[in-house]
Amino acid sequence: MGELVRANTLTLLTYFRRSRLLLAFGLVVLLLTALGSLPAIMANSKVASFDSLRDIFRTFNMFLIVFGCALGLLVMSSHLSDRSLKMVFTKPCPPPVWLGSAFLASALVSLLLTGFVLLFAVALSLLWHIPVRAGLVFISLDTFLAAVAMSAYFIFLATIVHPAIAVAFALVFNASLFYYLRITVHNALHEAAKGIIFLKGLEHIFHFLYLMVPMTRAFESKTGAIYSSFRVPAHDWLYLLYSFGYTLAISALFYLLALFFLQRKRFS
Amino acid sequence: MIIAENVHMHFRRGLVGPKIRALDGMNLQVRDGDFFALVGQNGAGKSTAMYCFLGLLKPTSGKIEVMGRTPELGASLYSSVAYLPEEPHYHLYLTVEEATKYYASLYGERVPAKAVDDILERLGLGPFKKLSLAKCSKGMKQKVGIAQCLIRETRLLFLDEPTRGLDPIIVREFREVLREIHQRGATIVMNSHVLSEIEMLANRVAILEQGKVIAQDDLHNLMTLDQDLYSVAVEASGSVPDYLTVTERQGNTVRGRIPKAQLYEFMDYARQTGLGVLECSLQRASLEESFVRILKGDAPGEKKEI
Repeated sequence: MGELVRANTLTLLTYFRRSRLLLAFGLVVLLLTALGSLPAIMANSKVASFDSLRDIFRTFNMFLIVFGCALGLLVMSSHLSDRSLKMVFTKPCPPPVWLGSAFLASALVSLLLTGFVLLFAVALSLLWHIPVRAGLVFISLDTFLAAVAMSAYFIFLATIVHPAIAVAFALVFNASLFYYLRITVHNALHEAAKGIIFLKGLEHIFHFLYLMVPMTRAFESKTGAIYSSFRVPAHDWLYLLYSFGYTLAISALFYLLALFFLQRKRFS
Repeated sequence: MIIAENVHMHFRRGLVGPKIRALDGMNLQVRDGDFFALVGQNGAGKSTAMYCFLGLLKPTSGKIEVMGRTPELGASLYSSVAYLPEEPHYHLYLTVEEATKYYASLYGERVPAKAVDDILERLGLGPFKKLSLAKCSKGMKQKVGIAQCLIRETRLLFLDEPTRGLDPIIVREFREVLREIHQRGATIVMNSHVLSEIEMLANRVAILEQGKVIAQDDLHNLMTLDQDLYSVAVEASGSVPDYLTVTERQGNTVRGRIPKAQLYEFMDYARQTGLGVLECSLQRASLEESFVRILKGDAPGEKKEI
């Protein structure tokens, strides 16, 4: 089992390293992120420097989450389309092991990139004589967890549909949409005289879907201050633990769903 | 070793496409130690049958057992099974060496680098071990597939068109390797269009047509099927009896076939006329001839569903 996970994870890391599509995607997003950060870098007052650091850090963290989605999408879709999984599943390596390795490999790449972004932010802080605050570590870890959850979501989507459909689905049917729909139905419920059972059912469905679709910042309302000031009150570290629990639950859910569909695929 | 009983495999191409009956009540039995060949026309269901044996496809109905167990994706029963796919569906982002090592390590044990080097050298892949599979020719990819089959001792080997795209030298060497593996006690199930190759290697053959096994027997029995003909070669300058069907004339030498029932009549004729008989032997049909006759239903008692 251990050897299987090791062999699969190393091979998938090699895939990430050599995937030209992923490299091109990463370079384009990085370029856009860097260009977006240019105005911030040009500013030269200390307050402006802090704002710049915050903007750059936020942009790069957003890049990490988008890249996490790409990792999940590509690792599954490319191995399904080139049919190479046939070679894996005709050996004593069952789908749960390969899928687990795909999750692990995506998470490791996200962790590595998160480390780079954190180091870059620390380097900028030192360069601009801004105190290195604990918030940088908090936000980095929170972003890493969000990237893992999004990666898990995209692995699941790529297992069931074409990658282009998966992207379109994720863009349209996101947590905000289901939240909005839920609120709309909730408001309608207060004014409705008829069809209350139907609306209640609908509200529950939207609430369920809202919970199912992964959020990039599940505890945004509680951690907003950390993101703007980079200061972390001692008790707020607990939210990182909650984020970890949330990511674990979401990843487990999408792992099981992806596994369910993967095992029902025709590998011919 | 492998039992397939009344196996049906139906699926649709797309959501509204026609229903395809890839396997339609296939019955088949591979015994321990067999070198078993699956033959049939394109679309007969050979590859589908193999995918079902490997757990890559779940039959719509029927029973399949491989080594006493129902095959499933990545099942532990594959720890003594190797598979060479027809199409090079390999991890193309890996190098020749990495792919061989990876496939071998999927059996749950780390493979010594020397074992990988040895097998690559044996198959002539040594100089190309750092080459990406994406840049390899089809033949080279096929050799990588062969390497991952041979790197471990296996009890059951599935080969889907194994020599496609290989050069003659490697085909010959591969054939020898297969004979060696078979002699060591492994069961081999091969799917091939090259009937001459099957004649050289297999001891049992199943002929598939439209998802059914229409004949399954020892190769020897299939090749001598309905053999009531003798092939003869005679030295004749003049006429030959009517019942001798001439197939070739070369100078004074006439080659042809005579029905078994007229063998003694022919011998009497030869003695009386002084006809020189150069050769007279029971005609053995090639697998190709038997295959065509069975598919056409010419062989008596054949083209029955098994």
